[in-house]
Amino acid sequence: MNVLAAEWLKIRSIRSNHLILAISLGAILLAVAVAMSAIAMYDSAPASMRAGARIAELEEVVLIVPQLAMGIMGVLAITSEYATGLIRTSFALVPGRRPVLAAKSVVVGGLGLVVGPVVVFATYAVSWWMLESRYPVAGFADRLPTLVTSSLTVAVYALLGLGLGAVLRSAAGAIAILVGLVYVIPMIVGNLPEPWSERLGSVMLGALPREITGEDLTSSVYGALLSPFAAAVALVLYAAVPLGSGLLLIRGRDV
Amino acid sequence: MCGAPAFPDREGVIEVKQLTKRYGRARAVDDLSFTVQPGHVTGFLGPNGAGKSTTMRLILGLDTPTSGEALVNGRRYATLGRPLHEVGALLDANALHPTRSAYNHLLWMARSNGIDPVRVAEVLEQVGLAGVARKKAGGFSLGMKQRLGIAAALLGDPGVLLFDEPVNGLDPDGVRWIRDLMRSLAAEGRTVLLSSHLMSEMALTADRIVIVGRGRLIVETSVKDLTERYDSLESAYLALTAGSVEYGAAR
Ligand SMILES: Nc1ncnc2c1ncn2[C@@H]1O[C@H](COP(=O)(O)OP(=O)(O)O)[C@@H](O)[C@H]1O
Ligand SMILES: [Mg+2]
Repeated sequence: MNVLAAEWLKIRSIRSNHLILAISLGAILLAVAVAMSAIAMYDSAPASMRAGARIAELEEVVLIVPQLAMGIMGVLAITSEYATGLIRTSFALVPGRRPVLAAKSVVVGGLGLVVGPVVVFATYAVSWWMLESRYPVAGFADRLPTLVTSSLTVAVYALLGLGLGAVLRSAAGAIAILVGLVYVIPMIVGNLPEPWSERLGSVMLGALPREITGEDLTSSVYGALLSPFAAAVALVLYAAVPLGSGLLLIRGRDV
Repeated sequence: MCGAPAFPDREGVIEVKQLTKRYGRARAVDDLSFTVQPGHVTGFLGPNGAGKSTTMRLILGLDTPTSGEALVNGRRYATLGRPLHEVGALLDANALHPTRSAYNHLLWMARSNGIDPVRVAEVLEQVGLAGVARKKAGGFSLGMKQRLGIAAALLGDPGVLLFDEPVNGLDPDGVRWIRDLMRSLAAEGRTVLLSSHLMSEMALTADRIVIVGRGRLIVETSVKDLTERYDSLESAYLALTAGSVEYGAAR
């Protein structure tokens, strides 16, 4: 409990983390902006085209902001200590070392569990209130399972970032891999020849929330080959593998 | 929680036993043995690169020794439950998050070892930083950072204290202040191990001296003994470390 209190204080006593939280929640404003431009587009379109107007789910559009921002918070939660040398103080105070990383996981993962749902559900509310009269917006009950699983990815990204940071000990490498996982690799996978595009596309982090809930994925760039259970396991592994590696490595390394 | 010490006769003692640390092929610390007793300031002296900082990291369990061991209070540091209550250390005054306040820097440390937050205000007062407690530590001068690092070492009121070159960056007033602080900590019965690459600092501060060069022990003795055997401490140091100084490229 002592270590947890210490790590919580560490996170909240750094200004850049306040900025990261503000940016994450700023995704809701981004959703409002997207909705406003969608409304303008709809209203300026000829009546004949309005009936068929479609729009991507706002949550899917803006979720990348809290995912990346909280992922970076996770990375920096540990790499900033290596960069400043503070890691020696942390490990001298807690010679077991693992409780330090475990406590960071609770703090950063816990913030992800708050930020993710806030952004996802607020964004759904935005699309319901602003877009529903013009575009087809799926009802809350229909969307709820995927809203929940999507919102959980924010915590997964935070823990993934922390784990990568713990393994690599440098912000540059860990952030590069994080951005690769969000952006670059899905793009590459999407352009692979079949069946690889669908196979690999099914294990991309972005595919998992809807594979878990079984929501239709035909319109997406991702594959949909995993069962709900397998997809849930994969989602957990995205956080657990890097964090577990970090916990294994952190003990014996010189600092 | 702490109860009776496990090794009453070794309370406050730092034992370095045949300690060796290799980085690749280089031996930073080479079969080094010495003992530090409570109640004294022990100067840990040696030219740059002699292995002083490495030895301190080994004592604190931050690096793993290649062979040998270091004990504090008769135990390996890594086995201590809440180490700040037993050992305080200042390794690198710049090891701070630049945007965290001095107060919060000490408060997270206190939290992690279950120390009453009241201590944070006390040690800030003690090192003369109470007035800038809410300021970002990144804006501090090196001298202020050294004071903050000393405050951190004192937080748990430990019996054993390690300071790695704490005088660097201090003005003459600060040097004087550190000297008096080290001596009063030792007078309270604490163990103080103070590293430096300058003998001049030690003359007025230390009672005991451990001199290392190229990772090896050169001499472990009292300041009194050195002043009796040599013209001055400075000449003793130069004579003893003559073979151990690393001259730039000629390593
Ligand atoms: N992490 C490390 N990796 C490689 N070499 C190191 C490392 N730490 C110290 N050294 C080397 O070990 C030797 C002793 O260094 P150090 O303990 O810092 O000496 P001192 O503190 O007495 O100046 C030096 O030659 C230094 O370059
Ligand atoms: Mg040094």
